[in-house]
Amino acid sequence: MKAPKAALLGVLLPLSVLLLAFASLSFGAGGVGWQDSLHWLLGASGDAHVDLVLGELRLPRLLKALALGAALGAAGVLLQTVTRNPLAETGLLGVNSGAALGVALGIAWFAGQSPAAQIGWALGGASLGSLLVLLLARAGGGQTSPLRLVLAGLALTATCHSLTAWLALVSTAYLDRYRFWLLGSLAHPHAGLLWPGLVLIGVGLTAAMALVRPLSALALGDDLARALGQGPAPARVGAVTVVALLTGTSVALAGPIPFLGLIAPYCARTLAGVTIASQLPYSILLGSALMLSADLSSRLLLAPFEVPVSAVLAGIGAPLLIWMVNRDATLGLMPAGSER
Amino acid sequence: MTKAVRRLAPIPLLLVLAYAALVAGTPRLSASQVYAGLFGPGSDWLFTLVTQFRLPRLCAALVVGIGLGAAGALLQNLTRNRLASPDVLGINDGALLALALSLILNPSGLLGPWWCAVAGALITAVFTLLAAGGVGTRGYRVLVVGLGIASLLRAGFDIALATLPIFHATGLYAFSVGSLAGRAWPVVTVAAALLGILLTVCWVISRALALLCLHDDSIRGLGVNLGQLRFTVLMLAAALAGVAVGVGGPIGFVALAAPMLAQRLSPDGGIPVWCSASIGAVLVTGADLLGRIAAAPVEVPVGVVSGFLGGPFLLWLLMRPKAYGAG
Repeated sequence: MKAPKAALLGVLLPLSVLLLAFASLSFGAGGVGWQDSLHWLLGASGDAHVDLVLGELRLPRLLKALALGAALGAAGVLLQTVTRNPLAETGLLGVNSGAALGVALGIAWFAGQSPAAQIGWALGGASLGSLLVLLLARAGGGQTSPLRLVLAGLALTATCHSLTAWLALVSTAYLDRYRFWLLGSLAHPHAGLLWPGLVLIGVGLTAAMALVRPLSALALGDDLARALGQGPAPARVGAVTVVALLTGTSVALAGPIPFLGLIAPYCARTLAGVTIASQLPYSILLGSALMLSADLSSRLLLAPFEVPVSAVLAGIGAPLLIWMVNRDATLGLMPAGSER
Repeated sequence: MTKAVRRLAPIPLLLVLAYAALVAGTPRLSASQVYAGLFGPGSDWLFTLVTQFRLPRLCAALVVGIGLGAAGALLQNLTRNRLASPDVLGINDGALLALALSLILNPSGLLGPWWCAVAGALITAVFTLLAAGGVGTRGYRVLVVGLGIASLLRAGFDIALATLPIFHATGLYAFSVGSLAGRAWPVVTVAAALLGILLTVCWVISRALALLCLHDDSIRGLGVNLGQLRFTVLMLAAALAGVAVGVGGPIGFVALAAPMLAQRLSPDGGIPVWCSASIGAVLVTGADLLGRIAAAPVEVPVGVVSGFLGGPFLLWLLMRPKAYGAG
């Protein structure tokens, strides 16, 4: 039963990503429809307007959405495996806000407006954030309940967010740009950021694939992992580094995008099972598909206005989070005595 | 130290802070200048500075602090969870979103209908409770459900922020950070009156409130309608938080920290509401003062100070190996 279903999914998912990608090229402002984009894709269009809309605006946006979805989907799976927490997500655990703080610091104080500087600052912030998350997850000696870790992420987010907000208030010129960037917008054509970002995400995804074996061993428990010759410490450090790379790059590209790293791995787990080897590729594909759909809805829902993509994802993710917490009784468990 | 004395401990601290809030800033005043500004004979600028700027701001800090402190204590008594607070349960964000919506529907006044925050807070409180399936004593569940709702509401606020013209957006954004800058008498007096009413209700039901730390069955055994009591307490807490958010914006962590500190002062029984309210006032006044003088001449909003200090506080709280011992 399992194999045909998996095979079907393996065909259907990439197909739907392709379809969504084509839809992403075909819909939106600019008066360019699907016939035009088909012609353009086949190389048959000589229209300068079509070239501009598709080549300069929609294609970069499509690539960005694809890469971000894949990156956050993969980061979610890695983080969930390392923290052994089904709720672990870069947004909930504060990695996003660390990266955002890094970018804000770079822009406000060190004039880090260049693409390289922006990515660098985001990576720095994301690394610190993920390191803290790892330390927090280990702090309770394996006793840290999933929800407790989420609350710790809330604390980290609050501190980073208040600092970011202060920077935005101090540097008023920056606020107008900042408020859209913070929403996780895909629309801004940071032309210089796109290609380095795509390369970094590609590197991160490859590294994530390479981590599948050590992390699967880790999922069996530290002792068994050691017996299998996979040291738990290097696997953890590797995973946290990759999470920081993927999250930092995506924050630099499009701002902090919430909940995608929760939704994609969750759906992947339901569809493909709990082993990380099957969960990771599905989560990457689902992340891309979700991001594309969210981006499409953000363009179409309130046209001609654009709903922030982060709001669309929060609209899907928050109810899912609530549902997961209400359904799964084990999530609420915590060490005795921690409740008054 | 007896219990009563310990519970009064925040009061002298509050007086010192209030005095400092009137004296500190640019220009720095002396005690006699403050006195002259308040009661005359003082020069016009002194009168204006003291009674129209520093005093209303101090009163706003007191209103916000008392509101948040009391709301936090009520919620923690209600849920029997020390981490329950209006900011974690999404109530603050609900109040903020209501304000943003009122601004969109009526774009003429900048943050005029601040009482919308109260309505937003009440609606959110009911909604959060329904989504979590009751206050329950089932660990962190209600908190994470609240967190999810908070992020949903925050997303709504983000949409509002992106749709508003930049003039309103700047004002609303500054407000959303949590700030007491420029709070004037019209808002402060109405808020203080509302706070007074809510605190009176608190006082009236204080006897029933004290029962909340008992076992559910014991409360029912005393002939108290538990569902009704819980609903009243929840609404009261939400309204108190709504008043605070309407005046000062969603200032985080005060409502979380104040009840805990209050219980340290008087460790037996439930969480003391009045003591918690006075500690809330101390925290907000102190944070506002700190924000005014720490990076002078630039002002750090009180919400930034509380978020910056409150995050590590929550972390420390969560990561203590034996989470909550007595006292």
